[in-house]
Amino acid sequence: MSEHRRQILQMLSEGKISADEAERLIAAVEEPVGTKSTDPALESAGKCRPKYLRVVVDSEDDGGHEGPTKVNVRVPMQLLRAGVKLAGLLPAQALRRANHAMQEQGVPIDLTQLKPENLEELVEQLNDLTVDVDQKDATTKVKVRVFCE
Amino acid sequence: MIPFVAVVSLRNQDSRTFRLWIPLFLIWLLLLPLALLLSPFIFLACLFCRVNPFRGVGVMWQIFNALTDTGVEVEHRSAGLSFHIL
Repeated sequence: MSEHRRQILQMLSEGKISADEAERLIAAVEEPVGTKSTDPALESAGKCRPKYLRVVVDSEDDGGHEGPTKVNVRVPMQLLRAGVKLAGLLPAQALRRANHAMQEQGVPIDLTQLKPENLEELVEQLNDLTVDVDQKDATTKVKVRVFCE
Repeated sequence: MIPFVAVVSLRNQDSRTFRLWIPLFLIWLLLLPLALLLSPFIFLACLFCRVNPFRGVGVMWQIFNALTDTGVEVEHRSAGLSFHIL
């Protein structure tokens, strides 16, 4: 048994960490060194870049007579990129007014901070985005998924 | 690549589907002379709004190109609608 493994098991027996944490730590120390890339550029190059942002809504009406409704929206990531560039073109006064209108609606996004140089970073962050919303009440069940593919 | 065709599909309660293929390339051809005629006004509007007109046209072109592969589908028991840009 390796020293790291022994230490993790000891921490588990002393109650310092949970069984789940111990399992994750053991997996991390047992992972071969060569399998983890340290270069983020190489890591992102290896990862397949998603082409679409998908929004899928499944609504089931259990009690009523409406029946299930499905919505499936597919937006190309290229369109998002172009949209951010368009936001960068807008005059500052228009952006301030748009910010004000969005804040009134409870969306605290500052469009003036949306710059073309931050664009790739923003789109890269969207790659790992997955939003799952499940809503259940007496008669309806709604499931919303937002993800990139 | 610019979008060439838009496909609109409608399904009614009797499960009859109507599919409409809209040849967008013909619409672009028809709109091109209009865009050329309007270009001085677009140029002036960009100057008035303090936007670089060439960058503006470039971004609009990118948006136009990026519309390809956009799709929206809505399915319900009684009806269905789908819209795809190809």
